[in-house]
Amino acid sequence: MRMTTLLCLLMATVVLAQPSDPEVHGTFDGDPMYSLLPLDAIPAIREPEFVNGQAAHDQMHPDEPILAVTVGDQTHAYSLWQLDGHEIVNDTVGGRAIAATW
Amino acid sequence: MYARQVGDRTLTFLVSGKLWRNSLIMQDLETGTLWSHVTGEALEGELAGTRLEVVPGVQADWGTWSAAHPSTRLLAKSEPVSASRYQQYFDDPEKAGLFRGNWLTGRLPGKTLVHGVHAAGVAVAVTAERLAGGESLDVLLGDRTITMQKQADGGVIAWHEADDGSRHQVDVLEVFWFAWSGFHPYTTVVD
Repeated sequence: MRMTTLLCLLMATVVLAQPSDPEVHGTFDGDPMYSLLPLDAIPAIREPEFVNGQAAHDQMHPDEPILAVTVGDQTHAYSLWQLDGHEIVNDTVGGRAIAATW
Repeated sequence: MYARQVGDRTLTFLVSGKLWRNSLIMQDLETGTLWSHVTGEALEGELAGTRLEVVPGVQADWGTWSAAHPSTRLLAKSEPVSASRYQQYFDDPEKAGLFRGNWLTGRLPGKTLVHGVHAAGVAVAVTAERLAGGESLDVLLGDRTITMQKQADGGVIAWHEADDGSRHQVDVLEVFWFAWSGFHPYTTVVD
């Protein structure tokens, strides 16, 4: 995964602590799960707002990567650079509740 | 991406701050269950063992996508964001995940971008480079033929054709090889 924001914050955490001592929450399917940040330290988006047309273009670089989803006749897109700071968007598209994760 | 509806409930997912196989673990607000965002499976909590329904999404660049889909609604930015903060991580072949894991198999450089499909214990990863030209590629996923193709709008989609000729879209994850192989160490690689 492009674990950019989470990894930047976690690298700061690990630099301060010993890299071999991250807190282990448990072992799942043979691999450890590490507890590194408090819940919601990276804030998922819960009430997304949208723009379209020229307002959308104005906030984007043409090469900017996006994640897009179509349900029925509705298409929503999320900038991956923006998602780096939130990791998850809780959204509803075409009447369907979905979570976009990055 | 995933459907947030599980049974009668609509879940709200937060970033738990926990990491498993170098990938983020989600926690839902309603039950506190922990979920892998790579597999969609609940690992711990009231809903442990549940698997979220996949809703196929597509990755593309804004310019190509918006020209093909002008009615797209775009998540609003409250402040400008730029690539520069993360470009170094993205470009650096040495920086791959926080904890070294199973991907050191040498089959592909860790930071190779792949498009991965998986089902019922089998997995196939196709390098982004292999699909860059826009030609369709058939791969065998278990006993099923999956066709993958980069679209004119910039997104890579995958589908399988049923006996009646109808196409069923399959979710494709665009990820670094180091992350994909951590979850699917026996994946077939197409490059």
